[in-house]
Amino acid sequence: MSQRILIAVAVLLAALVLGLAFFWQPEMPERPLPMAAAPAGGDFTLQSAGGPVALQDFRGKLVLVYFGYTYCPDICPTALAATAEGLKLLTPEELARVAVIFISVDPERDTPARLREYAEFFHPAIVGVTGTADELAGIARRYGVFYARQPVETAGGGYVVDHTSDTYVVGTDGKLVGKIAHAAPPEQVAAEIRKRLTKP
Amino acid sequence: MKQLSLLAAGLLFSAGVLAGAADNVAVQDPYVRLAPPNAPATGAFMVIKNNGDKDVKVLKADNPASKVTELHTHINDGGVMKMRPVPAIDIKAKGEAVLKPGSLHVMLIDLKAPMKEGDSVPITLTFDDGSSKTVEAKVVRPMPAPPMEHKQH
Repeated sequence: MSQRILIAVAVLLAALVLGLAFFWQPEMPERPLPMAAAPAGGDFTLQSAGGPVALQDFRGKLVLVYFGYTYCPDICPTALAATAEGLKLLTPEELARVAVIFISVDPERDTPARLREYAEFFHPAIVGVTGTADELAGIARRYGVFYARQPVETAGGGYVVDHTSDTYVVGTDGKLVGKIAHAAPPEQVAAEIRKRLTKP
Repeated sequence: MKQLSLLAAGLLFSAGVLAGAADNVAVQDPYVRLAPPNAPATGAFMVIKNNGDKDVKVLKADNPASKVTELHTHINDGGVMKMRPVPAIDIKAKGEAVLKPGSLHVMLIDLKAPMKEGDSVPITLTFDDGSSKTVEAKVVRPMPAPPMEHKQH
C-alpha cells in the first residue's frame, strides 16, 4: 500500500517536472544593454562657455568624449584624472592632435561656465559642454551612453545621476572607433590615443 | 601577591571597559580628494583596519568642511556607475574596509568653502558601540588611481 503511494507521488512529481519543463517560460526581463550594440556615434553641436562646440570642428584630430556631470563626486574625477594624466604622457606634437570633450548630462545644474572651470581643472585641453535634455538624450543614444537621474535626498540638489563611465574615442575622420573603459590607467589612455593617431 | 592579582584584575577590568571599537581600529592613508572647482561634493578615502576580535560597524562620519557627511558606495551595474548611500560600513574582526574611488567612500556634501591642495580635514568616524575616532585626511588632487604611498606603520 505504502509502495503504491510512493509510486503515485513519484509519478506526480515527474509530471510536475515535465510540465514545468514544457510549459514554464519564465519571463526573462530584457535588460537594456545599450553598450552591447555597436553605437553609431556621429556629429553633435553643444554649448561651451566660449560658444558652440561641434564635433565636426575637430576633424583631423582624435577626440575623446566623456559623459558625466560636475556634481559627480567620484566616478567623473577618477575618469577625467586618468584621461588628463594620459594626455600628459603625450608629446606636444601628439597632444596638439587630440581634443577632449566633457559632455555634462546634467544641464539643469551644469552651466557652460561651471563646466569650463571644472574641465580645465583636470587639463586645459578638456572642453566642457552641455545642451538641452533632448539634445543630450539623442547624443547619448547614438553613443550608447546610459544615464538616469536617481533621487538621493542629500546629494546636492536631491539627485545623483547614474551613468556609464567609458571614454569614447572618435577618429580623425569623425567616426566612433572605440572606447576606453572606466578607470583605465593613464598609460592605457596614452597607448589608445597613439594607436589611433598612427592608424588613420 | 593578592594585591598584585587585584591590580592585574583591575587593569584587565578597566581595559575591558575602556576598549571601545575605536581602540581596536587603525586608519591608514586617509585622504580627501580635492574637489574640482564648482563641484559641491567630494570623497574621502582610507583603509580602516579592525585589529579587534569583534566585528565593527562604522555608522556615521562627520567633518567640519561640509554641511553633510554620508557613507556611500558605488555599484557597477553592467558598466553603469550607481552611487548610493549605505547605512554602515562593516569591518570584520581582524579584517579591513578599503574606502577607495569607485567603491566605498565617505562623501563630503555641500562643501562650506573651496578646499586647497595640502589642507587637512578632520574626519570623525563613529562606530556601532558609540566610540569614535578622528583622523586627519590630507587634501590631494584627483588621481587616476588610489595613492600608492604605503607608509610603514
